[in-house]
Order: sequence, then structure tokens, then C-alpha cells
Amino acid sequence: MAFGGGGFSMERGNTLLDDYVLSLTRKERPRVCFLPTASGDADHYIVRFYRAFDAARCEPSHISLFRREQSAGDMHEQLLGSDLIYVGGGSVISLLGTWRAHGLDTTLRRAWERGVVLCGLSAGSLCWFAEAVTAFHGPAEAIEGIGLLPWSNCVHYDAEPERCRTYRDLLAGGMVEGYAVEDGAALHFEGERLTRVVSSRPGARAYRMRWTGDRLSRRPLPADYLGVAPAVVRAA
Amino acid sequence: MGGGGFASPPGDPSLDRYVLDVARVPHPRICLLPTAGGDAEDQIRRFYAAYRHLPCEPTHLSLFRLGAEPVEVASVLLGQDVLYVGGGSMLNLLAVWRAHGVDAILREAWERGIVLCGISAGSMCWFEAGVTTSFGAPRPVPGLGLLPGSNSVHYHGEPARRPCFHEAIRTEAVPPGWGVDDGAGLLFAGRELAEVASARRDAGAYWVEERAGAAVETALGARELPRREELEPPTPLSIAEWRETRMRRR
Repeated sequence: MAFGGGGFSMERGNTLLDDYVLSLTRKERPRVCFLPTASGDADHYIVRFYRAFDAARCEPSHISLFRREQSAGDMHEQLLGSDLIYVGGGSVISLLGTWRAHGLDTTLRRAWERGVVLCGLSAGSLCWFAEAVTAFHGPAEAIEGIGLLPWSNCVHYDAEPERCRTYRDLLAGGMVEGYAVEDGAALHFEGERLTRVVSSRPGARAYRMRWTGDRLSRRPLPADYLGVAPAVVRAA
Repeated sequence: MGGGGFASPPGDPSLDRYVLDVARVPHPRICLLPTAGGDAEDQIRRFYAAYRHLPCEPTHLSLFRLGAEPVEVASVLLGQDVLYVGGGSMLNLLAVWRAHGVDAILREAWERGIVLCGISAGSMCWFEAGVTTSFGAPRPVPGLGLLPGSNSVHYHGEPARRPCFHEAIRTEAVPPGWGVDDGAGLLFAGRELAEVASARRDAGAYWVEERAGAAVETALGARELPRREELEPPTPLSIAEWRETRMRRR
């Protein structure tokens, strides 16, 4: 599940996307492991995760790569034994550098092959793709993710115009085709195939993005709003 | 620096001043790189609390947190007089720097004569190798190699590191090098050791080399910096924070 932006990190009081990823595990009390690497393992972020994923509905844990003393046991086993791995936002470049240094990229691929549900927002979405657009320091630029999904990805598509322009230019310059995702929308893949687009906000959208040789093809993808549709819409 | 300094209360104010003196400019620009700690807010706050009252222009560069304004990493770093690397995980520090290309920028900064300094992971990173606890138990790991030899920090403060350092040198897993205590530092001019400075009683540095299959340790003479108890009492952090908040409101 690749969120454009949303979940407990960005949508206070709106649990729709987080509830949805929990349901994908098909477990009554799934083991959920949070990876806050992209934030530098920020304490406040870890606390917010435990508040959102409380022990009543799942078995939450996290892995800190900056404060190893906080994490007991073998982190690779911990990841492989999870039902859901949830990757937080921040800098995707810092995220990938740190993961590679600890060999987590390999472990996450193994987890994926075993059927562990992988999800994340922002940097935690970009990381799963072959290529992605980041706009962390200075101008937006292309990065290579861990490549479980052989597409490109651009998050916060509605919120950051600079990214939209850069994504278009990168696609024109040969970046592999992919998906632009707005805040509140999320892509649900099974294997490499997109099976559903869901949203935590009515109207939040995702787009299939492709360069056709002379122009950009931007196809809106129908998104299923996960909440109860507003009454006015139903009446209409 | 082997440890201590602004990040670990009660700190070593004379080490904080020492790195400014090395810059040999009246009001040096000093930039904290808190990468090894994941840009931990606590480390950043303590840095400003320590340097705000000293004759310098403190700033910091975050590689994790989204700033309101985009940052030109190279121009920020190369525009400083002193680059101060905070402690944390040496492995993560180097991985994140390499991912952002900061390792090459730091080499350029060094060649331009910018003072490079750091504490703990921020010390070991400059050498050919260090002894990191990033994996849990201490383990030797390669550094940037701007400085020759190896380095182990918290030399007597963290008892597991010294035997690991000795063993790594004895088996030639790492080149010979320096063990440095909390509160002590090595000053290099280029790649040559210029002096050992110590801000604490019994804090020093040791040269460790392999001789006939054994690790041999030699204590080095150190220049004594004023100890913290000889300086005026430091401003408590809570007051410093309050002042900072007040300044921001203005």
C-alpha cells in the first residue's frame, strides 16, 4: 500500500487508511512493525505510532536504526515475523542509505515475497518503487527505490506543484511510467499489479502517468472512498 | 573528541570553546551535523544552548527533517568556518552522508581549510576506521579516511570498546590508532597530530599499535584545558531554552 500522504502521520483523527492496511493482514490481532527511519527515528513519531496502533487491535513494535539499544533481538527476524510493516515519512534518501547500510532492503524484499503486507506514506511510499521523485533538499529530483514495484511514484501530488512539474519532466526524460498520488489517496498493489485505489478523503485522487513520446498521458484512477459517503452525495 | 562536550550534561564548556579557537577567526560560523543521531531534537537544542552565548554564529543542517525552505547542502556546509559532527550511529552517519553526497562535500571543506570536528561517531568518521556500537556489540567499521589510522571513543567510559579496539589492532583488522576518553580530543593539522587536549581530570588519549602480535598502548601527554568547575557555572538548559523561546517571539 503506497499512500500519497495520510494515515496517523498526517491525518489526525482519520484512521481510514490505517484501518484498511490492518484489514489487509486478515488477522484479528496482526503484528505491526513500524520503521521510522526516514524521520531519523524521531521519538515523537514513534510515540504517535503506538498511540495510533494501540495494543487493543494489533501487536505493535518498531525498529530504531539510530537507537539500536531500544530494539531488542534480531531486527531481520522481527520484520519477517510481522504481518504488516509500516514505513513512516521523512527523507527517502536518508531512509534508503540507512536501510542499505543495515541490509534492510534485502530483508524487506524477503518479507514481501513471504506475503507480509508492506505500506507507508511519503518517503515510506516512494521507497517501494523502482524510481521516485523526491523534493527534500532543494529542487525535486529522481531517486532509485528498492524496486519491489517496477514503476515510478510521486507523492503529495496535489500539495507540492514543484513535484508535479519535475515528475512530468522526468517522465519525458525517460523515467519509467508510474503513479502520482494525492494526499489522502493510496495505491493497493498485489504483487506488482495495482488492484485498487482507496482514499481517506472524498475526492483524493491518483493518476497513471506515462510519457507517450510527445506528450504526458495523465489518466485519473477511480478511487474508493473508505469512509461513509456524505449524505448529500447519496441523495444525488 | 572522545565524548562529552555540549551533548552530554553537564558538558565540557572548554571543549566547546576549543573548537572555536581552532578556527582562528573572530566570530566563526559553526554548523552542527546531527546526522548520526537521526537529527535528534535534543542534540540540536543542546548545541544551540552551548554555542548561543559564545562568540560565534551557530547553525545546523538536518538531513531528515523537512525544513520550511529547501536547503542547498553544499553551499551551507562550504560557507562555514567549523563543521561539528554530533554523536550517534557511525554506520548510519556514513550511509546517510553517502546517500546525500555529503562525504564528498566534507572532503572539499577539509581541503578548503574549514575546521572539521566531532564527538563520538562524529570523531571516528574522519579516520580510516572506528569502533562502532551501531550493530549492538562494538565492531570495527571503515570511516572516511581523511585522517590516518583508527579511532576509538569513550575509551574508558564504555568498557566494551577498549578490548574490541585492541583486538582489532592486534589482528590488523584496523590500522594502529588513537583511543580517546570522554572530555579529551585530538587536534590534527592536515593529517598530522598537533596536540591532545583534555578538559577533564584523567581524560586523555592513547596510541595503540600492534607489536609482536600484541596490542601495545601508550598514554599521550595532553594540554589541560580549563575544567568545567573552573569556568563560570553553565546556564541551566531550561533557562537557556526559555531565553531561546523568548528570542524567537521577538
